[in-house]
Amino acid sequence: MPRPLNLTRADRLGYVVGGIALMVWALRKPTVARTGAAGLGGWLLYQAYTGRNPMFKPLGIRVNPQPADTEANETIVVEDAITISRPRAEVYAFLQTADNLPSLAGEAVQITRDVAPDELAWRATRGDRLMHFGSLALRDAPGGRGTIVAARLEYLPTGGSLGIALSHLMGRSPQRVLGDKLRRARSLLETGEIATTNGQSTGRR
Amino acid sequence: MRAVCWHDKLDVRVENVPDPQILNPRDAIVRVKATAICGSDLHLYGGFVPGMVKGDILGHEFMGEVVEVGSAIKNLHPGDRVVVPFPIACGNCFFCRKALFSLCENSNPNAWMAEKVWGYSPCGIFGYSHLLGGYAGGQAEYARVPFADVGPIKVPAGLTDEQVLFLSDILPTGYMAAENCDIQRGDTIAVWGCGPVGQFAIAAAFMLGAERVIAIDRFPERLRLAATAHGAEPINYTEDDVLAALKEITGGRGPDACIDAVGMEAHAHLAFAYDRVKQAMMLETDRPVALREAIMACRSGGTISVAGVYGGMIDKFPAGTLMNRSLTIRTGQTHVQRYMRPLLERIEKGEIDPSFVVTHRMALDDAPQAYRMFRDKQDDCIKVVLKP
Repeated sequence: MPRPLNLTRADRLGYVVGGIALMVWALRKPTVARTGAAGLGGWLLYQAYTGRNPMFKPLGIRVNPQPADTEANETIVVEDAITISRPRAEVYAFLQTADNLPSLAGEAVQITRDVAPDELAWRATRGDRLMHFGSLALRDAPGGRGTIVAARLEYLPTGGSLGIALSHLMGRSPQRVLGDKLRRARSLLETGEIATTNGQSTGRR
Repeated sequence: MRAVCWHDKLDVRVENVPDPQILNPRDAIVRVKATAICGSDLHLYGGFVPGMVKGDILGHEFMGEVVEVGSAIKNLHPGDRVVVPFPIACGNCFFCRKALFSLCENSNPNAWMAEKVWGYSPCGIFGYSHLLGGYAGGQAEYARVPFADVGPIKVPAGLTDEQVLFLSDILPTGYMAAENCDIQRGDTIAVWGCGPVGQFAIAAAFMLGAERVIAIDRFPERLRLAATAHGAEPINYTEDDVLAALKEITGGRGPDACIDAVGMEAHAHLAFAYDRVKQAMMLETDRPVALREAIMACRSGGTISVAGVYGGMIDKFPAGTLMNRSLTIRTGQTHVQRYMRPLLERIEKGEIDPSFVVTHRMALDDAPQAYRMFRDKQDDCIKVVLKP
């Protein structure tokens, strides 16, 4: 069985350009260091050829080359889950509103699937461009421990894996946004407020 | 207001900062009457804990008077005298309902950071790095207390500030360390580290029925206090071989339980040098000298109770000893809210007066000097209380 591709189109193009550039640079004046660069270039070309980067899995980057939404050619998948110590109907009613859905910031959300109190799905656009889509599956936690919310979010990659790396460096990766939003939902539902330090005293000026 | 701010490794300053405001309905503002420097604050002071930012207000042991409450607070009123527990806990989540307050799922706004380092996030803690929420601490004239309907405990007028202050952290911490030993009749408990937490662990071990308690440290004044205040048997590890001494004391079997009240900055001989070098090179973050020794010393089938703070990774961990000799490790940031009321009752009954550990009383403005003195154990310093 062929292993699934995990490079985005932007990645493959970038790897070809980068790989060739590295090899050309190395061949113009071969030194030990540049031979290493040529090796790296060759590796990039090989990955572009196979469509797989073996580092993506350990880094937690998941590419979906055949997303369910036909408007997307490929997506990056992030998933998370949270257990909220409240009854399922209450959790569902809370998450149903656009403000409380664990969607990414700055995008207009439209609910596409609404099966109370089990499933929610949405699509988010900026202008008329699809930006991401997501779904939530709710089920009762065992032993009366509340509700388990499993979230899956697929977003359209801009800038391929470089874009992902950048969003991680800036600390606002979709993975983190998803986790923070789920925690926000739990906090509001369980405690009635969101723990914060915004506006507290500090010695910073 | 005046507040103790962290600036850099070995650099804390008392500065004028804005007064705290109510930010959430379940907040309260407390005017701090007494606050203490914790041994774990020295880890921040020494720069061993990641996630500190210049300007952070320090302090997680404090008590004082309620001056303002948020709209959802019904149990506290301005004028109430309260002690504030160091873990911030919501009281509603899975863990809080199990009385595992230091694991509260809703009180760390920076949970994602803690998840990166530790897998899952524990609760937020006052003045203890952004990994644990970046909350402003209580070494200040005023402090904002989130979830004030769950944490703070009102204290009766008959007790002094110093008698109740340590309910905020170190008394429950020492108590939980002893409770985790599951002490049976005839048990011998060994305690590594005779700082304030070690002292309270020793006291609690006797309270919970230990036959003998062995106190291990290198500072004569601390060993003396352990012996005179509670009747512990001292071992000075700079003079004696701890493992050999414990073996002899316990009739060749080892202590039934061992308490590590030291944590990530242990000192001892060669092992210290090995770990200090690795720590400096960032090959490990914590120096587990006491923990290793406690594991090696413990009798087979016994318990190692870890009260000392660890932050990250350790090396040369004796997993083989742990496994082959059926040892149990029990640990955790203290679930302070669980212990405050029963321990307050013990203080009221006169079973323990926690103020015996206080060696220095200073003004809040003298905090930089107090941190230095406590770190370097100058003037036989065991515990410093700051009065704002």
